[in-house]
Amino acid sequence: MKNRNRWWGRGWLPAISVLALLALAPALAVAQEFQKVSGPLREELPATPFVAAAYGFIWIALLAYVVLLARGVGRVRKDLAELRGKIAEQADRGGPRP
Amino acid sequence: MRSLGIGFVAAATAAAVGFLIVPALILGAPLEPVMGLVQKIFYFHVPCATMLFLSTFVCAGGSIAYLFKGSEAGDRVAASAGELAVLFGLCTLVTGPLWGRKAWGVWWQWDARLTSALLLELIMIAYLLARRYGGPAGRKLSAALGLFAALDVPLVYKSVDIWRTVHPQTTVVPSLDPRMRPAFWSAFALILLVWTVLFMVRLRLERARAELASLRLDVEDMLEIG
Repeated sequence: MKNRNRWWGRGWLPAISVLALLALAPALAVAQEFQKVSGPLREELPATPFVAAAYGFIWIALLAYVVLLARGVGRVRKDLAELRGKIAEQADRGGPRP
Repeated sequence: MRSLGIGFVAAATAAAVGFLIVPALILGAPLEPVMGLVQKIFYFHVPCATMLFLSTFVCAGGSIAYLFKGSEAGDRVAASAGELAVLFGLCTLVTGPLWGRKAWGVWWQWDARLTSALLLELIMIAYLLARRYGGPAGRKLSAALGLFAALDVPLVYKSVDIWRTVHPQTTVVPSLDPRMRPAFWSAFALILLVWTVLFMVRLRLERARAELASLRLDVEDMLEIG
């Protein structure tokens, strides 16, 4: 009896698997079929946003770098003016010149 | 800071005019039959990649002068070119995936060309970081990195011929359709002009910073004596 139950238990799993495959077979077949497009064909990925993004990025990157350079130049000019002011002040007091 | 001169003004004006003319030439160039409109990224992607190589070589030249001869001018040239290498490398690495997403269906592939180009960009970023945060030895460390970066350039260029990659080969530009050539070479000339102008300004800034640092030391000495 014990052996018979074991056989019965083992037999269920393959039987259910086969039935499940038989039931799913039509669905799987449908999923692999090619379907005809109705209406005009539309491209999935339009190229224009990619081209615009590429050119836009280059322009923005170059412009940002120019702004950074201009800020750097401005800072150096300001520091030079301050130093020159200090030197002039020292010279007015009659101190040594650099 | 001294005036940049007539040459700079002329180059900057020509670059500004070029940014109006070159896009028109690119739009007028014929469409590539397989990739279509997205292939137009090529006209700026390739010149940007070439400027990355040029900047890296100039940076390596300056680094050699600084490392072996102690040339301060060489160090300033290397610093200016290093920054431009990062800028144009970024332009290359952003425009490439935008083209690839449409042409290959993926943003990125870990193939030899893309990976070696990314490595080059990372070395150049490391160059700038070492220079800025490397302390007293930072300039020498960055100069060594500049040399390593130059060694990577031939590898990046020839990678498409040596290994099988998804990236187009080096034969693309020489075999370009004659009707596409004016757009490509004008875009190339424009990017080269922009590179030259930026390099001139950046080098001037580096010189002015060195001058300022030296003047500061003099003023400190003077105030101590006074």
